[in-house]
Amino acid sequence: MEMKTAKKRGLSFYLSIYKKILAQDLKSKMSYRADFFISTFGMVLTNISGFITFIILFHNFPSVNGWDYHHMLFLYGFSLIALTPVQCFFDNNWNLRFMVRSGDFIKYCFRPINVFFYFISEVFDVKGLGQFVFGLGTFIYAWAHIGIPVTVVTVAEAAIFLITASLFMIALMNFAAATCFWIINSGYVMVIMFRFKDFAKYPSSIFNSVFRFIFTFLIPIAFVAYYPSLVFVTPDHVPLLSWLSPFIGSLFFFLSYKFWMLGVRKYDFTGS
Amino acid sequence: MSNEVIVMKNISKQFKVLNRHEGLKGSIQDLFSRDYKIIKAVDDVSLTVNKGEIIGYLGPNGAGKSTTIKIMTGVLEPSAGEIFVDGRMPYKDRTANSENIGVVFGQRSQLWWNLPLIESFNLLRNIYLVPEKDYRNMLELYRSLVDLEPILHKPVRQMSLGQRTLSDILAAFLHNPGIVFLDEPTIGLDVSMKARIRELIRGLNEVKGTTVILTTHDMGDVDALCKRIIIIDKGRKIYDNDIEHLKSYFGSYRTLRMRLGDDSWVEQVIDEKKTDVMHVMQEMQKEHKIKDIQLQEISTEEVIRKIYEGGESA
Amino acid sequence: MTGLKKKTALTRAGIIESLQFRLSTAVMLFANLIYLALVYFLWKAIYDSSGVDVVNGMTFYDTMIYLILATAIFNLLEMFIVWDMSRAIQSGEIIMHLLKPMRYRLYTFWSYSGAHVNNFFLSFVPTFIVVVVITKGAIPIGINLLYFMVSLLLALIVNFNIEMLVAPVCLYTQSTWGINIVKETVVLLLSGASIPLAFFPEGLRQAVEYLPFRAVYDIPLTVLLAKNGTDSLSGLLPKLGIQLFWCVLLSVCGNLFWNHAVKKITVNGG
Repeated sequence: MEMKTAKKRGLSFYLSIYKKILAQDLKSKMSYRADFFISTFGMVLTNISGFITFIILFHNFPSVNGWDYHHMLFLYGFSLIALTPVQCFFDNNWNLRFMVRSGDFIKYCFRPINVFFYFISEVFDVKGLGQFVFGLGTFIYAWAHIGIPVTVVTVAEAAIFLITASLFMIALMNFAAATCFWIINSGYVMVIMFRFKDFAKYPSSIFNSVFRFIFTFLIPIAFVAYYPSLVFVTPDHVPLLSWLSPFIGSLFFFLSYKFWMLGVRKYDFTGS
Repeated sequence: MSNEVIVMKNISKQFKVLNRHEGLKGSIQDLFSRDYKIIKAVDDVSLTVNKGEIIGYLGPNGAGKSTTIKIMTGVLEPSAGEIFVDGRMPYKDRTANSENIGVVFGQRSQLWWNLPLIESFNLLRNIYLVPEKDYRNMLELYRSLVDLEPILHKPVRQMSLGQRTLSDILAAFLHNPGIVFLDEPTIGLDVSMKARIRELIRGLNEVKGTTVILTTHDMGDVDALCKRIIIIDKGRKIYDNDIEHLKSYFGSYRTLRMRLGDDSWVEQVIDEKKTDVMHVMQEMQKEHKIKDIQLQEISTEEVIRKIYEGGESA
Repeated sequence: MTGLKKKTALTRAGIIESLQFRLSTAVMLFANLIYLALVYFLWKAIYDSSGVDVVNGMTFYDTMIYLILATAIFNLLEMFIVWDMSRAIQSGEIIMHLLKPMRYRLYTFWSYSGAHVNNFFLSFVPTFIVVVVITKGAIPIGINLLYFMVSLLLALIVNFNIEMLVAPVCLYTQSTWGINIVKETVVLLLSGASIPLAFFPEGLRQAVEYLPFRAVYDIPLTVLLAKNGTDSLSGLLPKLGIQLFWCVLLSVCGNLFWNHAVKKITVNGG
């Protein structure tokens, strides 16, 4: 029997495929112009609304738990940037439960590439870039006002901590989306997780110890902005967890991926 | 060296389903109940498929066809039994297995909805790492079999159902897989499109020697394409042999229609093993004037229907 | 009578369907508790840091009660009509809905009513009881509860009409996410669901007075807490009047818009 061995598909293969799918996706998005503009407008509006909420709070209360306006702003900008990748690259998770339920999901299982990659690669959400720009502006403004030095080290640190911080929200949404393999109509899990992200922009020190534990180790929203921000905001007292956050983030993302794939393996595909 | 591309030995697949209760009270009960029932979607099925065959895989709705296909493609893990596709266990080695298979599943397009077909082909070529030359040759072959130009630059979402099915089949063969699974490829299509799809499948099977597993409810597909058919019902295999053999296996039935003196038609199904047609006609002529006769072979469709209805009793 | 029967059948089906999602009920309850804890700690920190007990006429307790009940109402009223409709349009299913022997607006309203009934008893009532017990008398128990039910019903209708006014936009734009997020953002901010309207700067607060959104959260909550003299009919009736006004206006606009939009239906795919 002629037995072909599986072709090797490494990182460079996946990168080039992603680039190609992305380019095609952008091309086809342009054909839905009205949606593109309304979505971008919606994204800008969401950010403005979030900002207004923020301003209204601090209009009444000048500091929270020892965090003054600019520190809060730094945290706010940090969280917006860290929440961009989940919006831009992992948006297809929102469609997962519909595809699983209708049976359409099965098409992702017939290709000789990673199912998670194939599924996630299919949607790139351009409007997330608006949030990125908004967040970056806030972040730089607060950075300058707090007076954090601009050196190769701090900038590199910022890049690393922002990227790894983004993994936490991605992982949370992976977990939430993958619940649909076990639970019918699990959309609310995603909605709830997505709502939790609102609290990424507040300092976790406001919680009591029980909830700080929950938001550090169970639903690690505190890692999206609070812990990594401490590296910049209070450089003299950085807790160990802040330094560890890149590793924890990578691990957490990996676990969420494993969970997602377990769902694919365990699912009955009785939809059709 | 064996010719067998698929070997299934005593494969079973069970699902656990919650027993739901009726009505408002029942659904409150369900909130807490652990009352499951086991459904055997596939029950101890063994079969082998040889290289280059086109097999008609038949059975009534819910018989377990799709589940079998999902096991063969590595999407589902069987509950019991052994399966080898091209020497591999599909569920253990899904990625390697999918290099060598192509799938068209129901009416669900696997192509990128918003992309023109040619861009989908391009992406697939990259995903399956098809060498440039093979890809060009395949497109040439496609051109010789179907009219490719009208669909090549059209986004899939704008295609008619027929064009979409055609595109999906072409996409499934693009990386020249050893086995292609086609699940109801002609469902919902008009007569001429059905004919074109069948033509295409036969053409690709002949040129490329591709093994084809075809599930369908349309006996036209079976008659046009398959030499061998496998029938399953309630998860069990009830027939696995040549299509010719099916008719004789079931009995050599023919229908004799006669127009009598008063221009009315009468019909008589005749089992040729027991009595022959001429004898029936002679008997009839003793009492009636026969103006005209027609002799009809029993169709595959009728045979299949009798099997579905009567189980193994045939 | 048969009309009503048809509608209550839909309510029943809705109740059964949403009960079947057994795990969802438990998880939802748990997640809402965590979310409420988040709100609690955030505002506690804010009040602690401010050093005063009363901000903008609201104590910490007032703010908490307001926000928790606003969240409860949010869960109670949540509808996914914009999503449902745009999905139905994209899949072509909308045609099937239009062929049903009941007007689409009514059909949608009644098919959500089961979920509303469930949410009311499984989510809102328990939350309310917990809040009443914990705050020990901060919420007056009396005729205001009855008034609140009326106000809540009107809020539900206003909210439904806002959804139905926004949803047909996707018939024109084929935009799902965009329309939905715009609606959600605007409603949540301007209705006072995420921050009590009392905290808004003066100018913004006056502007919001003239918008329909406060009829969804702010008015029912004011009535429930018996603030601003709403425990007497003379204080109550103007508030209900505002809600009623928006019910009528929005449903007239929604109807006109929907009728226009239906003519425009362009169905994707075959």
